[in-house]
Amino acid sequence: MRKKGWLAGFVSLVLIASVMSGCSGGGSNGKAELSDAKAAGAVVKLKMWGGVPPEAGPQEVLDDWNKDHPEIQVEYVRYVNDDEGNLKLDTAIMTGQDVDLFVNYSASQATKRVTSGVAADLSTLTDYNIDEKMGPEAENWKIDGKFYGVPTTKSSYFVALNKDALDAANLPVPKDWTWEEMMEYAKKLKQGDGYGFIQNTEPFVDPIDSVLAKEGYTKADGTSNLDHPLVRKWLESLNVMMKNDATTAPLGEQLTSKMPVEQMFLSGEVPMLNIGAWLLRSSNNFTDYPRDFKIAFAPVPRLAEDAANHMTRGGLGDYISINAKSKHQQEAWEFLKWYADGGMSPMAAGGRLPASKDADQEAALKSMLGDKGDTYDQESLMYVMFDNKTPTYVRTVPQEVMDLRSQEYEKYFLDSQDIDTTMAEMVKRHNEYLKSNPQK
Amino acid sequence: MTNNWMRRQQRLGYIFIGPSMIGVLLFFLIPAAYSLGLVFTDYKFMNPNVGFVGFDNINRMLHDKLFYLSLKNTVIFLLAVPVSLALGFVVAVILNQRIYLKKVLRALYFMPYITSGVAVSFVWMLLFQPKQGPINGFLRAIGIDHPPGWLSTTTSSMFAIDIIWIWFLMGYNMIIYLAALQEVSPELLEAAKIDGARPGQMLRKIIWPLVSPTSFLLLVTGMIMTIKTFGIIQATTQGGPGNSTTILSLYVYQNAFRYYEMGYASTISWALFIIILIITAIQWIGQKRWVHY
Repeated sequence: MRKKGWLAGFVSLVLIASVMSGCSGGGSNGKAELSDAKAAGAVVKLKMWGGVPPEAGPQEVLDDWNKDHPEIQVEYVRYVNDDEGNLKLDTAIMTGQDVDLFVNYSASQATKRVTSGVAADLSTLTDYNIDEKMGPEAENWKIDGKFYGVPTTKSSYFVALNKDALDAANLPVPKDWTWEEMMEYAKKLKQGDGYGFIQNTEPFVDPIDSVLAKEGYTKADGTSNLDHPLVRKWLESLNVMMKNDATTAPLGEQLTSKMPVEQMFLSGEVPMLNIGAWLLRSSNNFTDYPRDFKIAFAPVPRLAEDAANHMTRGGLGDYISINAKSKHQQEAWEFLKWYADGGMSPMAAGGRLPASKDADQEAALKSMLGDKGDTYDQESLMYVMFDNKTPTYVRTVPQEVMDLRSQEYEKYFLDSQDIDTTMAEMVKRHNEYLKSNPQK
Repeated sequence: MTNNWMRRQQRLGYIFIGPSMIGVLLFFLIPAAYSLGLVFTDYKFMNPNVGFVGFDNINRMLHDKLFYLSLKNTVIFLLAVPVSLALGFVVAVILNQRIYLKKVLRALYFMPYITSGVAVSFVWMLLFQPKQGPINGFLRAIGIDHPPGWLSTTTSSMFAIDIIWIWFLMGYNMIIYLAALQEVSPELLEAAKIDGARPGQMLRKIIWPLVSPTSFLLLVTGMIMTIKTFGIIQATTQGGPGNSTTILSLYVYQNAFRYYEMGYASTISWALFIIILIITAIQWIGQKRWVHY
């Protein structure tokens, strides 16, 4: 009898703990949207998922298309390009919700979707030659030698410069500069307690990816190359900038305050900002970001001493895939071709220039600059967007490697561990990752 | 006749709890069993190839430095529960007396609990700003030259999270304690006073023991809720700087929905369940020594 009681008590305990755990759970999400019933042979409706806010270009693009193509109507669905947003997109695709086209913003995300078979193979479609249209940089977006999407935009990363501040300091707009030269600029341009250089967190780690994209993330023997001397150089020099020189924001402070770096640059507070083309979305917005200085543009400075040894992030972006399970793949393809060949021009207002050689570049530029052309140094803008011939790479680093790296360098920049420990830990954790994921 | 009647009553009872049990079965037990199955696979969300890997996930977890770091952070996070209990009790006792603005203060203390976690996180991020934040401004003003970095350094970030969580939980604890204090008989207090007991003695010997069932309830539910919660951490630090605020539940989330490693995430979540079970069992057994009914 006593034994029986003990067993019943234990089972009750398990059930109680289970129920309490269950009851403590979070709230549920909203209902999935029901798809509209389609009348036979009538209007085809497509859904395009993208990460750009509709008012920053996509809605205008789709309005243009919908006006001229009453038989194929495209609706835009916004997802935020972060973990939750991409999960939302992936879940929508996997559960068979209406996703006809979707934009991939990194090659690693695209690869993941290709691996799971949800992106249609476009290599079999011969009426649009992606290589020919988009140029040699499209090669970076091939996965296993095939296109599972169309890279539609020129993807520009640059350092934005306050040209008035540069002129006042008698500094030329750089076209090719080293990391050391950037550090010198930051010192000369620093004013009082302010910073001379600031970075958006998205391209923060690009300088070392520029090195490793060229040299390889793994050595010949297959082990991690994260202990490359230029990685150390990046860590040490940035630490000097954050601490001794005070020419850039300490990383801990930047992360915890979610530092509004675009605003700090556009208010004239900081003269140099490492960022990408999406800056133009804000810099063209004089209502929220009034400014009285001209913006010039420079390539991202290189860690490598030798320019011939340098790659930079850029090339093409906004890789648009067609859902392999879509019921309207042909119509989606028609739309995608139109979009890529110039239909996307209104996206330029947010800094996204069409990559296709058949797109009207003049119209796109007009859309990008609007009536604000005079507030930019257009020579350097053209250089970083069109004329810079530095070889480019696309970010292919898996999220796990991005994270293990950032966790270790955050500890370093916060003085939680020294440089040697940081390098050793990055290598160790990367090797552990490589052990279970041999392809990278 | 009696047996028939009892049996009919039992059947009726089962009918009444049926819908709830079906809900628990469908939405909790079946998914839990499914996730237990995932523990032995290398299932990745969106990857159609699923392989059986036996105890690989368990071995990986037992050798995973981040797992132990997350466990340590979870323990630090759990320290907030008894502290918020104590503070909630103190505030409840104070607000249970006749004081000015009692109703207003009760509402103010409860406000954090019903505020959106993201809003709470945002406000505290501003408060904890190392350079411009009011907290460090105040500390500098009273002569502390190097106040803590709070969320922006690895050594202080987990304790900053604890402070936010204590503040968040305190109001709820206060409300429950206020309800419990209504059950303390004034006659007992009067009798004690007549016998010469001081207020501190009355608190320690009469009030605290009489609300011990409530303390137990708040402790158990607080522990369970805290182990599973990561929204505030996700909104403030995303587990950083470094890994310094990654707790186990956030680590599960990251593996499941950032890396899409469902098999490994299930393994860690089952470890989390076992940990919750052990902690709850310890509390349940321990209550015999301090909870009075």
